[in-house]
Amino acid sequence: MSQRLYRSFQALLMLGLFLFLIGKVMNNQLLWYINQRFIALTQIGIVFLAILAQRLFMEARLTRNHHQDEEHAHSHDHVPFGSAQNKPSPVNLWIMLIPLLIGIIIPAKPLDSSAVSAKGLTTSSPLISSDSSSKLFETESEQRNILDWVKLFYFEKDLNPYIGQQASVVGFVYFEDRLPEGQFFVSRFILSCCAADGYAVGMIVEWPDASSLKQDTWVQVMGPVDAVSFDKGISPLIRAEAVDLVPQPDQPYLYP
Amino acid sequence: MTSVTVPRRASRTVIWLVLIGVLAIVLMSILPWILFLEIVSRLNLFATVFLGIFIEALPYLLFGTFISGLVEVFLDRDLMARFISKRSVPAAVTGALMGMVFPVCECGVIPLTRRLFHKGLPLPAGVAFLLAAPVLNPIVIFSTAAAFGWGNMLAWRMGLSLVIAVIVGLVFSVEKDPSNVLLATLTLSHEHEHEHGHDESDPSFANKIQQALLICADEFFEMGRYLIIGASLAAALQTFIPQTALLSIGSGPVFSVLVMMVLAIILSICSTVDAFVALGFVGTFSFGSILSFLVFGPMVDIKSALMYLQVFRRKPVAYLVLLPFLMSLLAGIAFNYFMP
Repeated sequence: MSQRLYRSFQALLMLGLFLFLIGKVMNNQLLWYINQRFIALTQIGIVFLAILAQRLFMEARLTRNHHQDEEHAHSHDHVPFGSAQNKPSPVNLWIMLIPLLIGIIIPAKPLDSSAVSAKGLTTSSPLISSDSSSKLFETESEQRNILDWVKLFYFEKDLNPYIGQQASVVGFVYFEDRLPEGQFFVSRFILSCCAADGYAVGMIVEWPDASSLKQDTWVQVMGPVDAVSFDKGISPLIRAEAVDLVPQPDQPYLYP
Repeated sequence: MTSVTVPRRASRTVIWLVLIGVLAIVLMSILPWILFLEIVSRLNLFATVFLGIFIEALPYLLFGTFISGLVEVFLDRDLMARFISKRSVPAAVTGALMGMVFPVCECGVIPLTRRLFHKGLPLPAGVAFLLAAPVLNPIVIFSTAAAFGWGNMLAWRMGLSLVIAVIVGLVFSVEKDPSNVLLATLTLSHEHEHEHGHDESDPSFANKIQQALLICADEFFEMGRYLIIGASLAAALQTFIPQTALLSIGSGPVFSVLVMMVLAIILSICSTVDAFVALGFVGTFSFGSILSFLVFGPMVDIKSALMYLQVFRRKPVAYLVLLPFLMSLLAGIAFNYFMP
């Protein structure tokens, strides 16, 4: 492959990556892949991709001119190593195509029930160090999300004050064999870093009409909270008074 | 010559793609519908996890390769020789602490180390830097402290990483000839480049930045290749091996450490945030096993092990994976027995 062609392909791939990620930013889908704390960093990265694409296009143009006037002489911006100037490897280009292909061919979807079966769901977990969780217990009960409830049930020794409090949480429906008829999990994925470390937390919901719901439907569940023993631990359970269908939130995950 | 071989290779790739496409269509027609849906949803999970790792690592890799480009054009070989001792022990310790100056995680550290080797960094210093920098740098120290507080976990994580990195660095110092360890491209052009740098007039600052950007782009393609292969392996493993199954076998002082270390390899997450991930395992896993996750994970995971192959020959890569593995394992087990 000629030097110029290689540079052009590099530039095109860089541009492709840039456009792909810009697209993800535009339709808010970056949040499906990474924790929101990395969004700003990723955006800087995206700008940098554009700069690199521009630089590579420039180089592709320059390479053509160089080849015309100096065939064998060392060009003044000769880069000794680490640059593909010496031996362009087309394999690099093919592999850089992979993320673009995966991103474009496979329909984008946040982690859902199919990921729960691979990554597991927990109803009690110490997701933050206990000392920083204390102020959590003072919040309005209806303001707490699923993760807050799960943390609260994990850390609090005496659950009596919380039993009977009104909960209002949003999550997706997850049915599992461990639960009897008339119950389901309302759950969310927890992301520390990116989709790779995500795993689900859930609260059990008791709802006579549970069988009318479908796996992965997003719902808002309202009702008083109770504590039940589940899977060797104490788990929060909502005796639902209302289960409303809601659209999937822009930010499908919760962050510890 | 290349004009003959390249089209042939390209057409072979096309044939492979067509074959895979045909195979996919045949499979789709044979498989029952339910199984097909299952595969599609697995594919979705694979894509989400893969893109998660890729997008998250992207800015760090770009940062690392850009620093590497800057080092190439701005750092003088003689300056480096003045700051870093030729003797093994001081070199290894300096190398291990260099992360405080170059705050890179495990994706960024590899291109940077390669560049520094090219600039004449002694072997023990480079190896220690490679292993320690992803932990011993300000960003990771703060994120670990944010997760675990300024306490035991942070202190042991940093201490253990330092010790392991220095030991492995010293092991590598036994080899006096770097060309036995490093890939040929890193050592061959030394002489040539040395004189080259001197008899040329100094290019302008803007030119140097342009050159650094070009190096950055090239290195991004070289290293990105391994990031992509590593991320897809990690995503495939996560898609087909249920994490719950892995965690359920993780009890006992030895197995719990092993499980956390295997998890560190499979998750392939960045060292800047792995502390928050580890936090999720407090309570189910012992101090020792979480510590070994935090020490071993930044040194070795699927993507970084593959990227090592761009710097070192195969046998040294095996050492770079096995020595930290054994030492973290032993340390984790020791903690489980003596500090349960």
